[in-house]
Amino acid sequence: MAKTSRRKLLKGAAASVSTLALAATPLSRAIPVQASEAIGPAPGVLARRGRNLSAALAERGAPSGGLLPATHAISVPLPTGSGTAVAAQQAAASAESSVVRMQAELKRAMEKPIAQRKWTMVIDQRKCVGCSACTVACIAENNLPPGIAYRPVLEEEIGEYPKVTRRFTPRPCMHCDEPPCVPVCPVGATYKRPDGVVVINYDRCIGCRYCIVACPYGARSFDFGEHYTDGTPGRQPYEESPALEYGKEWSRSSVEGITRKCHFCVHRLNAGMLPACVTTCIGEATYFGDLNDPESLVTELVTSGRAVRLKEELGTKPNVYYLV
Amino acid sequence: MSQLDPKTIGRRRLLKLGGGGVLGVAAAAALSGVGTRSDNYQTKEAAAGEYPLAKPENIIYTVCRLCNVHCPIKVKVSDGVAVKVDGSGYSAQSMYPHLAYATAPSAAATVDGRLCPKGQSAIQYIYDPYRIVKVLKRAGPRGSGKWSTIPFDQAIKEIVSGGKLFSNIAGEEQREVEGLNSIWALRDNAVATKMGDDVKKILAEKDAAKKKALVDKFKTDYAKDLDKLIDPEHPDFGPKNNQFIFEGGRMEPGRQAVFDRALKNAFGSVNLYHAGGSMCSASVYQAKTEMTNEFVEGKWTNGKKESAPDALNTEFILAFGINYFEGRGVTPYAGRVTDGLVSGRLKVAVVDPRLSKMAAKAWKWLPVKPGADGALAMGMIRWIIENERFDLRYLRNATKAAAIADGEPTVSNATWLVRLDDNGKASVFLHGSEIAIASKEQRPTADGKEWTFDPFVVIKDGKPAAFDPSDQRTVVEGDLLVDTTVGGVRVKSAFQLLRDEAFSKSLEEWATISGIPARDIAAVALEFTSHGKKAGTGEYRGVAAHSNGFSATQAIFSLNLLIGNIGWRGGLSAGGGEWDNMGGKTGQPYNLTKLHPGKFTGFGLMLTRQGSKYDESTIFAGYPAKRPWIPIPGGAIRNEIYPSMVDGYPYKAKALFTYKANTITQAPGGQAYINALKDTNTLPLFFSCDIGIGETSMYADYIFPDTSVWERWGFPGSIPEVPQRLSKVRQPAISPIPESVKVFGEEMPICAESICLALAEQLKLPGFGPNGLAEGMDFKRPEDFYLKRVANIAFGERADGTDGVPDASEEEVNLFAASRTHLSSAVFDLARWQKTVKPELWRKVVYVLNRGGRFQDFDAGWKGSLLANEPRKVFSSEEEWRQDLLDTEQLSAQPKGVMAFYAENVAKAKNSMTGASFSGVAHWEPPADLLGKALPVSDGELNLTSYKEVGQGHSRTASGYWVLGTHPESLLYINKTDADQRHLSSGDRVRLTSRTVPGSIDLGNGATAEMTTRVKVTQGIRPGVLALAGGYGHWAMGARDVVIDGKVVKGDARRGKSMHPNMVVAADPQVPTAVTAELIAGNIATYDATVKIAKV
Repeated sequence: MAKTSRRKLLKGAAASVSTLALAATPLSRAIPVQASEAIGPAPGVLARRGRNLSAALAERGAPSGGLLPATHAISVPLPTGSGTAVAAQQAAASAESSVVRMQAELKRAMEKPIAQRKWTMVIDQRKCVGCSACTVACIAENNLPPGIAYRPVLEEEIGEYPKVTRRFTPRPCMHCDEPPCVPVCPVGATYKRPDGVVVINYDRCIGCRYCIVACPYGARSFDFGEHYTDGTPGRQPYEESPALEYGKEWSRSSVEGITRKCHFCVHRLNAGMLPACVTTCIGEATYFGDLNDPESLVTELVTSGRAVRLKEELGTKPNVYYLV
Repeated sequence: MSQLDPKTIGRRRLLKLGGGGVLGVAAAAALSGVGTRSDNYQTKEAAAGEYPLAKPENIIYTVCRLCNVHCPIKVKVSDGVAVKVDGSGYSAQSMYPHLAYATAPSAAATVDGRLCPKGQSAIQYIYDPYRIVKVLKRAGPRGSGKWSTIPFDQAIKEIVSGGKLFSNIAGEEQREVEGLNSIWALRDNAVATKMGDDVKKILAEKDAAKKKALVDKFKTDYAKDLDKLIDPEHPDFGPKNNQFIFEGGRMEPGRQAVFDRALKNAFGSVNLYHAGGSMCSASVYQAKTEMTNEFVEGKWTNGKKESAPDALNTEFILAFGINYFEGRGVTPYAGRVTDGLVSGRLKVAVVDPRLSKMAAKAWKWLPVKPGADGALAMGMIRWIIENERFDLRYLRNATKAAAIADGEPTVSNATWLVRLDDNGKASVFLHGSEIAIASKEQRPTADGKEWTFDPFVVIKDGKPAAFDPSDQRTVVEGDLLVDTTVGGVRVKSAFQLLRDEAFSKSLEEWATISGIPARDIAAVALEFTSHGKKAGTGEYRGVAAHSNGFSATQAIFSLNLLIGNIGWRGGLSAGGGEWDNMGGKTGQPYNLTKLHPGKFTGFGLMLTRQGSKYDESTIFAGYPAKRPWIPIPGGAIRNEIYPSMVDGYPYKAKALFTYKANTITQAPGGQAYINALKDTNTLPLFFSCDIGIGETSMYADYIFPDTSVWERWGFPGSIPEVPQRLSKVRQPAISPIPESVKVFGEEMPICAESICLALAEQLKLPGFGPNGLAEGMDFKRPEDFYLKRVANIAFGERADGTDGVPDASEEEVNLFAASRTHLSSAVFDLARWQKTVKPELWRKVVYVLNRGGRFQDFDAGWKGSLLANEPRKVFSSEEEWRQDLLDTEQLSAQPKGVMAFYAENVAKAKNSMTGASFSGVAHWEPPADLLGKALPVSDGELNLTSYKEVGQGHSRTASGYWVLGTHPESLLYINKTDADQRHLSSGDRVRLTSRTVPGSIDLGNGATAEMTTRVKVTQGIRPGVLALAGGYGHWAMGARDVVIDGKVVKGDARRGKSMHPNMVVAADPQVPTAVTAELIAGNIATYDATVKIAKV
């Protein structure tokens, strides 16, 4: 109850944020870290540095230091041992769907202990058609309120008529290995899981919004408790349905007044499914998988030589890569 | 909400519906948006890995309908509420390669396919707070926004019986409305059939005096039935039945068959208008149809209106006025294109004055002058012919046998000889008997009659040779360039005609007209002809919506013919087609067209006169006609419905039923229709079936609610973007939102079907109710009809049953029931459903419904180097050939016709405004008004074009708050040069005015819609051109207040931002009550519009 009223106080009250948040800081130290995979970090995770790519590759015996194997960026290998005879010219068309392949890889990864997975997203900007299906699918999947999109798509216009183009940049949470949002949380509500996903413990978040300020990517949003269909003849049932994030059912009121963010759809990962933004992508521009798996599609793409990360200079070590 | 079975309704569902209190709030009683719930959920901990939406029993496969591509989807249901929609893994539209059809639903449950943002927003269209759930009757003048809720049965009775229906409304106290029972004048099918035949004779008579005599004879012959005609002096108008007009907006081949059955084949009106037609891409559709027709029993028919490059295999796509990433086919197509772009397999060039999202990825963006796509294509044709980059081997073939010998899937008419008239104008094909090198031949028709075959002619080695294009055994090739006289007849080959048109201007001239530099035209032509068969064009509304859209399409499509890419892997595909769900193939279980006791065949001129010849009619009065007659319509000519009512040309209307038709905003220039619909003299009775109170239905006398596309049945067609065969089945995924009623004693939601059934019950229309399909076969509920269509799909198209799907396993049968426990008895009852089909078919039906349709496996889309249209082989016997057709061609929808450089049907048609014949061959004509004069453009005017934001439909997406979150309003894109001249910066608000639209629209109810929006200054548009996305600027659909049962229902301003570009399109300068249109197939010339903009 105390927490709820604190949140309500915080809602929209920007001036009071810092005071309250500072006051809350000592509290966070006292809160023991949860060990549950579903919602809490494993012991020591907060202090643990995420492994970077070259370390991961070195572990697998892959070359490093600019000598990454130059696998073809997008080619989907033919299924091996499937018994399907396909002519070479049919290769692109008849290979298994990248969604099916990634889903198989995901299941393989889920069989490993959580600390041995490294969830990674790859977004091919050349394939992004700027449709925002990912943005909307994510809103629908996580039942997000007005003002919150975990994965907006940014658009730029480059050049002058008639030599001009448009560039689209989907921007989910980067799930950094050095997430600036984590250390600022006064209550330990946000942390990095052993599999790399940066999550928020909704039960613990007090809505101080420190993390929102700290994130250099703008990937965190405050839930002001609004509804899309308020002010209409009636609030609609889809807005009353619980959010299924983190494998729980969160009533609408239980997530009001706190911070929310992309969590790579861990509730879907648990069910062996890819994040909603990945499956819905009409340009097939978004890839997801385990970077610790040398056979995975994301490893292939990250090591293609085309992969870059946003704001690399900040040293945040994102786990979201862009192919340019 | 009494229709909800308390046993099958979850606790939360009850809460969401507000228990029994849903309809308690009087003001909003007729709207769905009154759900309330307790806000005190327990936060329920789910077991680790537990994700209810991954469970097969929480998933129903059905079909999206937020655009005309209809992606198969899975609706995920929680406690009876649809909470998430994703693409179906079973469908080639949603994944590639998609899951094998045999995949068990339990395995498919965790595989989500692609889906665009509109489709992802489905939940917000289902649960739209402004949806209506009860019948509304107007409680004030038309358009006043004042409504009363009335019982469904009362509404049906009033519409059928008529009377002083609005005596409570000032000014209408004494107005007697004629009901449908009275309009349904001619009911004797035998008389109608005989009259129809005699009318044909009247029309065929060329001599005016003799025509008059035939009319007089008609009047004598049918003296006792003349009172049933609209006008006995003009029997060609048909019976009074035709004064009942049906206008269906977003129609699909599920409901269309029900509307047709009730209103056309029972009530007997010819005035049924389905789908977008003239407001969409009629001219592109029809030009492509005429260029791919088959020669059947002496007629050119069965052409393919749609095509698309086989994107998974093609190497070059040249897109004219089509946005594969935004408008057309985004979900099935975008990923195929991006895959090719990134792998290096594919190059793309985009012809569009706006830098579309696809243009942004293109090798070349060609910002053509609006309306000059045809000139660009003609320039390419010139370059290709000049440089001999066409496929000579393909083009020389005149018969199927010649094509077979070359391994070509199609044959073209490039070498066929066309007669020239005295003025040197091409007319019709030359026939062998006309130059005495062959004789006519009587051949049997499919239905046992006879037709006369007269061979076509080519020149081969200087001599004429007669041939039958369908000949599978005789190889006939011809010379490409022929300009000669044979047997005294002046002729040219079709290819020669094309060449002459292309060479009528230099490449530089084509460049000047199109606004595309000659070097780019040459580069694109070189690229197009550098990939063998693996290149193709896409073309859509950007081409169609000009007054020259037909000839432009002829030019563009001729490019495909020059390389002979149709039917080739990586070439041009018409799509994989579908299994016949109406059961028309021999041996299918239910032939639903024939299962119609008492079927009625009406006759007469349509109100829009489409498809009829002006010069044959009894109201021919020289040129120009009073209003346009579209001879070869590419769909419904909906822009002519309301103004024709106003003019009473050719006759007056008595009743209008609109279904999902928002013509006022969908038809460019639609603002002019407001007065037509408001006027009770022009239109005495107007009822509508709509999801909400729309911009058009707001003027209706009655509005019936409808089930949304996620609550009902449907059988959307296949699409050209996917080469596999697919039969999609729409089925109820959730309980209906509209209230339940009883029709034929059966409980069902108020919706399009229940309206048809109830009208049939009241009027006693044949073909409905007990024994409505046949003795012992009722048609009392939607499922009685629709499940039989599912059974036809499940059974397949071979009489011996070898084309059927497997029987559902026990596990699947159980899943079928388990996944439908949330459906109310108004739509689902297992025993009742099961009884609608033969017992041996039920498990097959379950198999299909568990997957949301029937989908061919991925590899079936191609055979060798061809799209799945079997390469023509040489067969040792007729039997072998027929067997092969059965095995392959019948299961393929790829074109089998003659690829026509010269389209004879077009050459035979006449322009109703000028009397001139149209041209059968591609050529250039500048955009023009209805009389062929140049369109006036005054100083400072800019060319207004529109496009579709990928998240927007036209009228269906008002409640899409999620997509409005990404694009809250429509911005007017303007080139920086134009903006600087007008001192405009991004964000400035401007008012748009045109020759006839003053910058504000009078809604006829004291309110206006302002033609204002904000600008976005960009480099990504051709100077002189503006672009504004459709779908915004609602003034109805919940955007403004309405009054229901005396209480104000507040509108939501989010739904009304910006403006709709169609609303500012000016009337035609010559025919002020019409909009400028293309006159062969009827497309509205939307993009010929010019406007002025001024900062406000």
